[in-house]
Amino acid sequence: MKIVSGIVSFLKYALSFIIVLGTWELYAAYGGLNELFLPRPSKIGLKLYDMFIETGMIYYHFFVTLLEMAIGFLIGVTIGVSLAVAAAFSPRFRRYIAPYAVVFNVTPGIAVLPLIIAWFGFGWSSKIALATLVCFFPPFINTLTGLLKSDDEAIELFQTLGATQSQYFWKQQLPNALPEIFAGLKLAITTALLGTIVAQFGSASEGVGILMQRFAFRLDMAGSFASLVTMSIMGLMVFTLAEFLDRHIVFWRNLDGLERVSRQRAKKG
Amino acid sequence: MSYATTEQTKKLNLTKTLPFHLLIFALLMLLWEMINRLGIADDLVAPRPTDIVMAMADIFFIDQTVWHHLASTFAKALLGAFIGTLIGMGLAITAVLNETFRKYIKPWIILMEATPRIAVGPIFVALLGFGMSSAVALAALVAFFGPFVNTYQGLMDVDHEEEELFRSLGASKFQTFRKLRLPTAMPLISAGWKLAAASAFSGALVAEFIQASEGMGVLISQYVTMLTMHYAFAALLSVTLFGYILFKIMEYVDYRIIFWRDDQLMYSISEKKRNKMRAPA
Repeated sequence: MKIVSGIVSFLKYALSFIIVLGTWELYAAYGGLNELFLPRPSKIGLKLYDMFIETGMIYYHFFVTLLEMAIGFLIGVTIGVSLAVAAAFSPRFRRYIAPYAVVFNVTPGIAVLPLIIAWFGFGWSSKIALATLVCFFPPFINTLTGLLKSDDEAIELFQTLGATQSQYFWKQQLPNALPEIFAGLKLAITTALLGTIVAQFGSASEGVGILMQRFAFRLDMAGSFASLVTMSIMGLMVFTLAEFLDRHIVFWRNLDGLERVSRQRAKKG
Repeated sequence: MSYATTEQTKKLNLTKTLPFHLLIFALLMLLWEMINRLGIADDLVAPRPTDIVMAMADIFFIDQTVWHHLASTFAKALLGAFIGTLIGMGLAITAVLNETFRKYIKPWIILMEATPRIAVGPIFVALLGFGMSSAVALAALVAFFGPFVNTYQGLMDVDHEEEELFRSLGASKFQTFRKLRLPTAMPLISAGWKLAAASAFSGALVAEFIQASEGMGVLISQYVTMLTMHYAFAALLSVTLFGYILFKIMEYVDYRIIFWRDDQLMYSISEKKRNKMRAPA
């Protein structure tokens, strides 16, 4: 029964997509739209076919962008999380870092783009730097709030059992903070992609961002829409990956996961 | 044994720590200045603080170039944030009130969430030209998501028992919305406004980077292209400064609208309301 209702609801969604795209296509076919502004879906589809299957030129740009994003994301997350752990352990450090964090938060990271290009040049490093810069904040602030979220009873329990500071950190504070940390990582991974693409708009020789800009400047709207669809695919990919990791590492947040893992552990025991 | 908690930070008051903050800031600036003076860092890469301050004084008071560009970017970002918030909240309220709409809008929303929305920049610039409209459109597109998600979440997260109370008292759908859902959702909704303002700035700036004739994005990239890095830093800092002021204003508005989060404010407002009710009698 579950499968059948799943298929039905999927068909419903697919139908709603088809209706929207079909109206768009028909409207364009009868000359209701200026093709220069809004290309019809079939042309975008053809362009996608061309990019992905016929010539396969997109793959190079696709993986360059993904790699730049991944490196930026890793660096940003490492910096953000380690700063947050330091700030959680030392109230003094937290106090002195706070005003800089506020200033950093109100500066739109993207505004630094020209400076970053001037410092790091037109190659990969400037994209990585911007991705790092824009994605470091969510993991930082979420890790900090997660680690500081304290449960008085848990503290008492750990104290009566004579736990050391490091035991308290690894067994209570960190697992307790994991949901927040992962929420931060999910935010960070999409902003890292965004930073990479924006940096490519600024200047680049390879990547999906520069591809799209080239198409747009040539007024090849079907091409730039196809690049946009490619970016959506990338976004969906990284988001699903983050979602998957979240569900498997922070398994205790939903009932299904909790049951699954406890059953596995019971079997092992 | 001491574990880190929030309580510790609350106890430290600002007046005591402010001198230390200033001292550390001054030391950092001094260090930076010395590094440049001694020739370890290049002025082209990291301009020295005194130069940045001079440049700021120049663009704000002597040359006064920054005002025009700041006003342009702020106008674009705020207009975009306003339009985006209207669209986002409108969609969210429709989705909350109408179940069919909610069901069918869901996949589109997921798609929108996954797409890096700022990436539509070049398309918007090609479609709408180099003027204000492309920047406003991009800002609105980027800004609409925060208010949408927050409004939706806030309006849907209503306590079941409270909802039951409203139903048993025979409240209409509109009354439940106005007196229960909206007040419960207000903190999240206003957090959505803040998100919208912040992201609208990024949207406007990116549109300006791509192609524009005025605005802070143009100013910053011009200074960088001319390799006058201290001016670029000064322009960047002015974006930060005014962004901070805007943030503070929004926080104050937030505090006034959602008065029930602060006990003292709530008390004074309920007193005022009581007095008003008494007055005509």
